Amino acid sequence: MQKILRKRIFRELKENLFRYIALGLMIIIGMFIVISLVAAAETIMTGTELASKEQAAEDGQFSLFAPLTDEEKQKLKDKGAAIEEHFYLDYIADNDTVLRAFKIRQNIDLLRADTGSLPLKDGEILLEKRYSEETGLAIGDVIQIGKHSFKICGIGTVPDYEAPYRNLSDPAIDSSQFGIAFFTESDYEMLKKEHNSIQSEEYVYAYQLNDGLTDKELKETLQDFTMSADDIEDVYFQEYWNRTGGKIEDFKEALKDLSDGAEELSDGLSQLESAMGGMQESGFFGNSLDDYAYGVSKTADGAEELADGISEFSDETETFIDDNLNVELSKLTQFLTAEDNMRIGAASDDVAINKSVGLFAGVLLIVLIAYVISVFVVHTIEKESGVIGTLYALGVKRKELLLHYLILPAAVTFIAGIIGTLTGYSSFGVRSEMQDCYLYFSLPNLEVVHKAYLFVYGIVMPPVVAAVTNFCVIRGKLKKPALALIRNEQKVTNAKNIRLKGGDFIRIFQIRQFLREKRTAFTVFFGMFFSLLICMLCMNCYVLCKHVKEETSADIKYKYMYTYKYPEEIVPQGGTEAYGVTLKKEVFGYNLDITLLGIEGDNPYFDAGVEKGQNRVLISSAVARKYRIGTGDELVLKDEENDKNYAFTVDGIVPYSASFFVFMDIESMRELMGENEDYYNIIFSDDALNIDSGRLYASVSKEEMEKSAAVFVDLMGPMITTLSVASALIFIVVMYLMLKVMIDRSASSISMMKIFGYRKKEIRRLYLNGQLLVVAVSALIGIPASKAMMNAAYPYMISNIAVGMNLSFEWWMYIGLFGAIIGLYLIVTPLLMRRINKILPAEILKNRE
Amino acid sequence: MYLEVSHLKKSYGEGGSYAEVLKGVSVSVEKGVMCVIQGTSGSGKSTLLNCIGGLDLMDSGSIKVDGKEIFGLSQEKLSDYRRENLGFIFQFYNLVPNLTVKENIQVCEYLSDHSMDIDELMETLGLTEHQNKFPSQLSGGQQQRCAIARALIKNPKLLLCDEPTGALDSKTSRDILVLLEEVNKKYGTTMLIVTHNNSIKNMVDQVIFLKDGQIKKNYRNETKVPASELEDL
Repeated sequence: MQKILRKRIFRELKENLFRYIALGLMIIIGMFIVISLVAAAETIMTGTELASKEQAAEDGQFSLFAPLTDEEKQKLKDKGAAIEEHFYLDYIADNDTVLRAFKIRQNIDLLRADTGSLPLKDGEILLEKRYSEETGLAIGDVIQIGKHSFKICGIGTVPDYEAPYRNLSDPAIDSSQFGIAFFTESDYEMLKKEHNSIQSEEYVYAYQLNDGLTDKELKETLQDFTMSADDIEDVYFQEYWNRTGGKIEDFKEALKDLSDGAEELSDGLSQLESAMGGMQESGFFGNSLDDYAYGVSKTADGAEELADGISEFSDETETFIDDNLNVELSKLTQFLTAEDNMRIGAASDDVAINKSVGLFAGVLLIVLIAYVISVFVVHTIEKESGVIGTLYALGVKRKELLLHYLILPAAVTFIAGIIGTLTGYSSFGVRSEMQDCYLYFSLPNLEVVHKAYLFVYGIVMPPVVAAVTNFCVIRGKLKKPALALIRNEQKVTNAKNIRLKGGDFIRIFQIRQFLREKRTAFTVFFGMFFSLLICMLCMNCYVLCKHVKEETSADIKYKYMYTYKYPEEIVPQGGTEAYGVTLKKEVFGYNLDITLLGIEGDNPYFDAGVEKGQNRVLISSAVARKYRIGTGDELVLKDEENDKNYAFTVDGIVPYSASFFVFMDIESMRELMGENEDYYNIIFSDDALNIDSGRLYASVSKEEMEKSAAVFVDLMGPMITTLSVASALIFIVVMYLMLKVMIDRSASSISMMKIFGYRKKEIRRLYLNGQLLVVAVSALIGIPASKAMMNAAYPYMISNIAVGMNLSFEWWMYIGLFGAIIGLYLIVTPLLMRRINKILPAEILKNRE
Repeated sequence: MYLEVSHLKKSYGEGGSYAEVLKGVSVSVEKGVMCVIQGTSGSGKSTLLNCIGGLDLMDSGSIKVDGKEIFGLSQEKLSDYRRENLGFIFQFYNLVPNLTVKENIQVCEYLSDHSMDIDELMETLGLTEHQNKFPSQLSGGQQQRCAIARALIKNPKLLLCDEPTGALDSKTSRDILVLLEEVNKKYGTTMLIVTHNNSIKNMVDQVIFLKDGQIKKNYRNETKVPASELEDL
């Protein structure tokens, strides 16, 4: 029997070709997007993991004040840590971009040249891929750094700069402004000797753990490594040391002088006492000297006692200094495991969310389409009610018919799923989805990874979901007794039985029509909601990028920000000092940097009236949004280098979205951190200051920050456009198909209305204008609901991005979205009217045979 | 007796809308007999047919078909009962619209392991030349013939017809009745025909007349005339 019934499936398909092509296309497009998105994610995740192994990626890295000694290196080796120097210097290249210079690596985080070769001889340079793409530099080009020219011999990647952030606290990557380059060892040393870099050399070591050594154990070992200030040759360090930590030596000198002076005083008085004795014995001075000699003797005794006391004080002070004021400095300035490093594995983190969201959205889309199909199937069942009843009467069983009615939805979704999956998995699909990542992260060329589960997902999931959804929906319809089906008895539900009093006939008719077609209305709402979710994803993405760009420009009042490694004694003229410490706070599994910034209450660059108190802070709006904290909340920040937690009470929120700043009174912060009362390490200014680069960790201008913030808008633009169009298409197809099925179901009554003499406009009012109300109400519910849902989900989606989330819409955006929905409805209406016009008065007779 | 109905009661509704449609109906029909059930609207004739067909559940009583009791059978068993024993013809043909004539008949061919030869049946019913047409391309009479073929293809022992000519004109009605008569003769199928048409009783072997849910008349028609000679159809 199924063999015979199967023949009608093709005919059903042919009769409703447009409908099934539209639905099939939706599945194909949906599966294409989902499969290509997830396959791209899998390719990136698997590919980068493989590349990390091949390129001997680090387990972590640490930064030191001074390079390791041979003895320290040996100690680390004995513990089981393999290390390699990844020292670097930053330069302004001749194209006005910042280029970070490294030596080529031998053991850890190896270079991989996508094109060309590694620098083998002096005068050659390998550029990081994204930087070369953004700046248009290619193999064979020459790049000028200081007085030297370097020929580009290769373009490649390294695993520790997969996300080539200039600073780990940067909110975005801007490869048009910053890149990394690799030189031969001798070229690197040559550049270093010329002191033309814009900041001092950074002593970064990459490490790999062996022999069961853990990150924690390695960190503890490194914390024990100390240095003497004399070991460091850096002139800026020495200058800085001499007026800060070096003062303890002056203290010791002074103490020694005091002790020596006291001893000298005692010796002098002893000599004076001895001389006085001789003078008395001579008898030349009579008794007049006795009193004076007595006084000298007493003073000499006292001075001796003073010298003893001072000597004792000096010894005690020495002991105290040795015990408590150790002048040996800890070398470790930063310890970063690969897991906590924003530059490592960033692409995988970024696409991991694409994978889970994509897979979920795919199922949701198939459920939506399956439900749409089920509405058609239900319509067919209702239309064929008599046939089904007769077949039951003849002994056909429900499960046989159920199976028959499930075949079409399953077949359509299966075939569309296959096409969508294969096109999605084509190199075009995967490559195009990977393009976003390739345009942001520095990734090696990756081979597309084929995952069996994705084929199962794309090919098996759609028909299974369609079968299950349709089974649930149509089972009830086929459950009716044969007689009820033959008589086409309609179940009288409470909703249909509502008594409507008063009001005009048209309004009552529209309500009745809605109650009758509530399944269709629900599907329109469901389709709209699904489309709105995609739309909200795009709009949130757009407003986030727009706000980051606009607020960065509006909130940053300074033009330059200098971060010192070795601050000067006196704050440079034109600069406003601040004291910054980088601490950490976790959000959704990502440990992000937060700068605790000590400022004066009347600081001109931040609208932050900080008050004294070691636990009172104001937070930037970026922190408030990212961590969802507000006034009165407790904020705990972690100092990972020293394993300390700082707890603060939030006094207020400062409108500053460019960085994660926590503002504190500078004096209170100095006290909290044990710094001098005039200590600072950050300068904000309106003009460029003449600060020696060797003193600085970093310098950044407002213009650079604005450019970085604008990167998001450029980056996300194509995705926003594609998904917006896709969401509008989904909505328009679902709305059209559902409203058309509603008209088809009402064909008899529309035909009857025509027989009664109703005109087109009146029929439109009866059957379509009520649907406008459904669309409008669905939009009024769906817009805020989808916005709320997407706002709740969004933080998870961009949890690895260090920006605060201002997802607020302008009022006109809501109105615009509502208008767009009504606009789409109005586009569909003429098509529906055409269908209504095609219904002839004879239709009712045809339906009655 | 092939069909034995005893003390069959059937009611609908509750409280104010309660209606006893069949009030203890007892009747029997021999194998191979053509039997007509007549009565006015609301007399319970269709309900009786539906109860015999297992489409409607009786409140009490007994229905035995070929010696097997159907009272108390589950829906699944009733479905098996219909599959094995019955053919149904309704006033509306209820053909699958997007299957051809032959395919509509084939749908039921698979329900039985002792089905008739489809080509022979189509020939008998005059459907051979229309076998590849869809229902919408057929006249009412042709559609009803197709419905009859569909009911007969599985070679049922009992054919239940509910107003089989109700939607047809006089000439087509006669053609259909002639066909039923031929089928009865050729295949020995027992037939129960519910009709309000007074003429049809003249062509059958047994006539049952229902009124207000009770049998008023039940007699063998000794003056049977061929269907082709029926008047006032």
